[in-house]
Amino acid sequence: MAQWQEVQNLANAYLEQVHQLYAGSALPMAVRQCLAAWIESQNWRQAAEPLSSHARMLFHSLLALLDEHLGSLGMGNEDFMLKHNLRKARRDLQAEFEECPDNLANLVANLLQEERQILRLGQAGGEGGAAPAPSTPPESNREQQIQRRLAEFHAALQEAERAFRHLEDMQDAFDFCFKLYYRPGEDRTNDPQYTQQIQALQAKLQILDRQRREVLAQMQQLLGRSETLRDFLQEELEAWQERQQRACLGAPVDTRLQPLETWFTELGQGLFQLLQLLRALGDLRQKVSYERDPLKAETPLLERRLLELLTYLLRRAFVVEQQPSMPNACKRPLVLRTTSKFSARARLLVRLHDRNHRMEAKIHIDRDPPKIKGFRKFNILTSSTKTLLAGDCPQEGLVCDFQYLTLKEQKDSRSGKGSKGGGEGPLVVTEELHLITFTLAYAYCGLQLELETSTLPFVIISNNNQLSSAWASILWFNMLSCDPKEQQFFSAPPPAPWPRLAEVLSWQFESVAERGLSKDHLLMLAEKLFGSKASPESTVAWPKFSKDGAAGFSFWAWLDGILGLLQEHLKQLWKAGLILGFVSRKQEKKLLKGKRTGTFLIRFSESVLGGVTCTWVEHPESGPPAFRAVVPYTTAELESLALPDIIRDYQLLVEENIPENPLQFLYPNIPRDEAFGPYYSQWQEANLMEQKKYLNRRLIRVSSRQANESWQTEEELVATTENLEMLQLQPSGLGTQEPGGLASLQHGSSGTLQPRESGTLQVASGNLGTLQPSGPGTVQVVAASPEMLQVTSGNLGTLQPSGPGTVQVVAASPEMLQVTSGNLGTLQPSSPGTVQMVATNLGMLQVTSGNLGMLQVVAGSPGTMQPGVSVMQQPGSQVLDPPQLLQVGSGVSELLQPGIRDLKPQLVLQVVPEGQGMLQVGPGAMEPQLVLQLVSEGQGLLQVGPENLGTMQPVAGDTGMLQVGPENLGTMQPVAGDTGMLQVGPENLGTMQPVAGDTGMLHPVPGAVELLPVPEGQGTLPVPEGQGTLLVPEEQGTLPPELRDLEPLPGSLDVQELLQSLENVLQPRSGTLETLEAAELMPDMLEAMDGRLEGLDPGLAGNAALLNPRDPFLPQPEDTALPAVSSLFTTDFPSLHIDASDFQ
Amino acid sequence: MSRKEQETRAGTETMKAEAKIQNNEEEAEELKAKDQRLASVFGVADLKNGAIGLYNVGQSCCLNSLLQVFFMNIHFTGILRRITVPPCAMQKKRNVPYQMLLLLEKMQCGKQKAVSPIDLACCLSEYRVKLFVQHDAAQLFLNLWNLVKKQMKKPELVEELSNLYTICVQEHLACQKCSLETKRNSNMLTLPVPVLDTNSRALRTLEKCLQYFFHPEELTDHNMCFCEQCGRKTPFLQSMKLVHLPQTLTIHLKRFCFEESAYIHKLSHYLPFPQDLDFNAVLTENQCQADDSEKAAWQYELFAVIAHSGSTSCGHYCAYIRSLTECKWYCFNDSEVCQVSWDDVKCTYGHSNLHWGETAYLLIYMKKHPQ
Repeated sequence: MAQWQEVQNLANAYLEQVHQLYAGSALPMAVRQCLAAWIESQNWRQAAEPLSSHARMLFHSLLALLDEHLGSLGMGNEDFMLKHNLRKARRDLQAEFEECPDNLANLVANLLQEERQILRLGQAGGEGGAAPAPSTPPESNREQQIQRRLAEFHAALQEAERAFRHLEDMQDAFDFCFKLYYRPGEDRTNDPQYTQQIQALQAKLQILDRQRREVLAQMQQLLGRSETLRDFLQEELEAWQERQQRACLGAPVDTRLQPLETWFTELGQGLFQLLQLLRALGDLRQKVSYERDPLKAETPLLERRLLELLTYLLRRAFVVEQQPSMPNACKRPLVLRTTSKFSARARLLVRLHDRNHRMEAKIHIDRDPPKIKGFRKFNILTSSTKTLLAGDCPQEGLVCDFQYLTLKEQKDSRSGKGSKGGGEGPLVVTEELHLITFTLAYAYCGLQLELETSTLPFVIISNNNQLSSAWASILWFNMLSCDPKEQQFFSAPPPAPWPRLAEVLSWQFESVAERGLSKDHLLMLAEKLFGSKASPESTVAWPKFSKDGAAGFSFWAWLDGILGLLQEHLKQLWKAGLILGFVSRKQEKKLLKGKRTGTFLIRFSESVLGGVTCTWVEHPESGPPAFRAVVPYTTAELESLALPDIIRDYQLLVEENIPENPLQFLYPNIPRDEAFGPYYSQWQEANLMEQKKYLNRRLIRVSSRQANESWQTEEELVATTENLEMLQLQPSGLGTQEPGGLASLQHGSSGTLQPRESGTLQVASGNLGTLQPSGPGTVQVVAASPEMLQVTSGNLGTLQPSGPGTVQVVAASPEMLQVTSGNLGTLQPSSPGTVQMVATNLGMLQVTSGNLGMLQVVAGSPGTMQPGVSVMQQPGSQVLDPPQLLQVGSGVSELLQPGIRDLKPQLVLQVVPEGQGMLQVGPGAMEPQLVLQLVSEGQGLLQVGPENLGTMQPVAGDTGMLQVGPENLGTMQPVAGDTGMLQVGPENLGTMQPVAGDTGMLHPVPGAVELLPVPEGQGTLPVPEGQGTLLVPEEQGTLPPELRDLEPLPGSLDVQELLQSLENVLQPRSGTLETLEAAELMPDMLEAMDGRLEGLDPGLAGNAALLNPRDPFLPQPEDTALPAVSSLFTTDFPSLHIDASDFQ
Repeated sequence: MSRKEQETRAGTETMKAEAKIQNNEEEAEELKAKDQRLASVFGVADLKNGAIGLYNVGQSCCLNSLLQVFFMNIHFTGILRRITVPPCAMQKKRNVPYQMLLLLEKMQCGKQKAVSPIDLACCLSEYRVKLFVQHDAAQLFLNLWNLVKKQMKKPELVEELSNLYTICVQEHLACQKCSLETKRNSNMLTLPVPVLDTNSRALRTLEKCLQYFFHPEELTDHNMCFCEQCGRKTPFLQSMKLVHLPQTLTIHLKRFCFEESAYIHKLSHYLPFPQDLDFNAVLTENQCQADDSEKAAWQYELFAVIAHSGSTSCGHYCAYIRSLTECKWYCFNDSEVCQVSWDDVKCTYGHSNLHWGETAYLLIYMKKHPQ
């Protein structure tokens, strides 16, 4: 049907030819039309052969089908003519071909052939008309060719199979007649009938012989065409391999294997089919053979040719799909680190396998190691074999996927002692190339092969700092080597032609930041390498590229530094083309000379590894234009402040001048904010800001320019202060500043540096410990946070570290480090170098100093924060010393907890700093899973800063008792963490009652589900409820109306229960540390309950009595805060709900 | 005698054919009738029915391929159609050109996929071209050509045929001791070019092979020739200069290697050949002995490739032919004919790792601008 359908779709010119073809034909077009499918599915050519009965059979079938068709036509008028025509055609056909149906077969065969011819012309012409120019890309053209050829191949294969079946029939018929008539033993030469029969047999044998030869010819033809296909696929595969190699270098190319896999599989399938056909042909010979039987000589020949072809195809089809690479280094494959996992994958593109045969894949490393002295030998630690199971994701193909491989160097591989690490061999580690070879035992359809393929050479390093030079080797090899297995490449590495190298370098930028190198960039690089313009013949030697360098680093190291900088900080800007990047000084001047003052460009430093700088032009009133550049920013600086923000806020301080931003227009002429506006960071003010309790802050960069200094100014860190109270600046950064400059930067209250918003003091730190906001270098806040480091001082310019280098807050938090000083200048470390807070916490670290000189460091997540050692060891003594700064830290499970060593290790450390030297540590004694208590006293501020997952609980859970008691002047501010889950209360009991002090305020913060603060005494009671927004009580004595019907909880009973349970716990272990701790935890409680509860077990009193009044862990009588606490509990004892189940 | 000389001899070798001509008066009338019929046959043949296959009649793939190359060459068929028809049936049966013409006619007029060359094969077997025997295509080509030439009666046709195929070279032999130089013109039907150099290294391209073929050779040691002037055996420099190239140029790639005398093996390595071949670009000034107009005509394009697959002992021939009228490539595998592309022809370049595939054996180039 297909052919006739296609014929009808031809253009008119070709349709005309078809009409002509049928005009004089004995087969009317009407018949062709109505029996199209049947006609096309018969083998007319074979039927046309002389002496074939096939033709007669077809002839009668045709007539019968016509009759049938006539019968099926309706009685309607529309069919009237058709019926007439068909009837006439039937009569004519019968009359003409009754005698010689062979002619009909020949006629139809020729007609079909002519049709195909016209179709070919028509379709070729049609294509030509649609796309007159041969503009189709050669790849897709080749793709189409392959697909067309594959289709033709399969069609021809089917044709051959049909011919084979015909041959089979023919042979069976002959065999039958032969056995019936041939009687060699009897002498019947005189029998005319016998002679006739023998002659007929002879004729039949002739035809059989011809048919055999014809099938053989068909197979020869098929093999010939498949050889072309083989060459095509081979070409495509080589192109793919080249693409893969280039993709390894970062080139943006398509490395999909799917089309190849489809093609290889189709061809393989066809060839295996052919193989079976060939074997079946051989079987035919077993049944009937004769002198000069063509099968005898030709089938073995064909089979050998076919097997050779198949073997070749299969060997090619085994490819390394994924070159070895470490999982996190997807852009830099082929560099492996010992002990690091890596993966590699091979694929058999011919997706055919025998389900009953287990195919085993193996990998070997360096199967034929090169004869290089000192060449390291490695073992693959993980299993090196893998079985390809049948039905193993058939749609995914035949894949040997080796994951989680690790390499280990063989200890004895370096001979002799003292050679280790010294590199006795002529090659350095990063120039040593290794190979992994995959082998696969393949078996299918009786063909057994050992397939093998190798990865590209890779470099094995043992340390990350070798990564860059290892990658340089990989670049060089894949760029220049013509033999992918040449492991000795670096014994004599060839130089790279500049055009090739330029292309590869451009890929590096493209893969890192999606934008390659422009012509101008390459021009600059060439100049840097060659000192002049590069000609196409210029070459770069390997040492020049990767080893030598006048500046102390090689060309590649320099470039890789820039790549690293781009990758981490400047991706977007580079992609948008805002960074001119590679501009020489000379060129830069040329570009900027004609531009107006304030025009700047961004370029990469040539003297600093991984540095980027801005150069701008100034046209003084007289004299030549001046070009200024900032000392390059490196990752260290950009980590804390992004380049667009630096540019936006950049300030230049000139003596006696108002600071100004000299960066106005990006070269050539784009207003700064227009160019960089989209990249400025949005200041997302936190909740704290909304409450207007804090001042806005912003981090900016300033350069100072002094009259006597050169124009290349140093880079500065800036602190802006609110109200112009105090500003302390200290040059930092690259260590080139002179200390003498400090004084001049002390702007103090002079207010030259205008803060954007009143009431803020901002201290920005660089990435690597650069923040030195104080004058003579007293306070150092060192953060490696990529986002923000804030040291905020209050209104009165209070950031006054006392002595030199005394306070260090070192945080490695990836998110935020906040050091906030209160209003009254309370960040006052007492003695030099005593206080250290080191946090490596993943969440947040907040250091807040309270109003009265309180500093709180709260960390929540287990195992991350490390409190300063000395402080931790003796928290009591520290704490109780009122003027001292308080030190708080939470630690891991194994970390020391002040005073409570025996508790179960899951405990979270709890530390409470306090203004007046009061510290209470209250861990849950029983089931100390999540407990943190923070109590601030007196005038202090209490901040509870929970972490990530709301795990921080300022209250001990299990004992059902938590008391957060801010006192007189205090405010309590629990701060909800990320997930909005803050529980200011014991989870299990569902009630928690923080007690607001007399004049205090309680600010519960959103998130608490079952938070039920109960006001006591004179205090107001904010009752946040449910999951809704929390109520922040502002006035005393009011109760939110909707909560009025909440009944004060009947405390006594619950408290009694609690005490009983406490007693249960305490009693058996009276006098133990635990008791002490329990008492210490809740001294107030004990006290509070003392009078109220009768029937308390005497043991408890005894235990309480055991408390050593001088124990530093216990609240000391002289502590001013202590009475306040106890009074709180005695007078305003909270209601408690205690669930008995909590004690189980 | 040097290797090259032998080849030259082989190229010019002629088959001693019997030419028995019987004048039979009785058949004169029939002759006329046949002539008329033939004329009508030619008319049909000119309709160009396209490429028709030839049935294999028993190891006849080599013959079939050669016949196809002859028949697809319109310059050759132009000559063949003008032959004198032998007068009697007996002669007809034994006349090779006539049988070829009959076969051509059969191929051209019948709308059949393939025809059987059995009559021609039987006719050839009369002349010691055996049936059911694996032939060497180069050898068979020479035999067939010589038979055709021998049995053509008209001298002008013979001359035309010779012109169509004959290569003229001039052999130079120069004594290295004295200045004696002898020249000799010889004619060849094929250029039998080696595919390996003296050190048995594979030559890279067809052009390299041709250059190597025309490269002067020193005859020393036991190859020394007798110099009449010196009166003794002296080393000679033997060189060959190209004088004339025919319309149809046949190049024989010597892929069957006789190195180890008894054992003949096939060299299947990769050897590309161009579609367009300019001898002026291949040969140096010294290697030519021709005037400018002759040289100007040395622009060739590939017309046919006879490719061999298999080994020396058993193999198969097929022919890739570029139809001169349609400018399309066809592949003739006995009875199977199909249209192919240049990519398919390129597959016969050979492959160093594949020994059973098709490799070009005879290359037939056609002059681009017939003189």
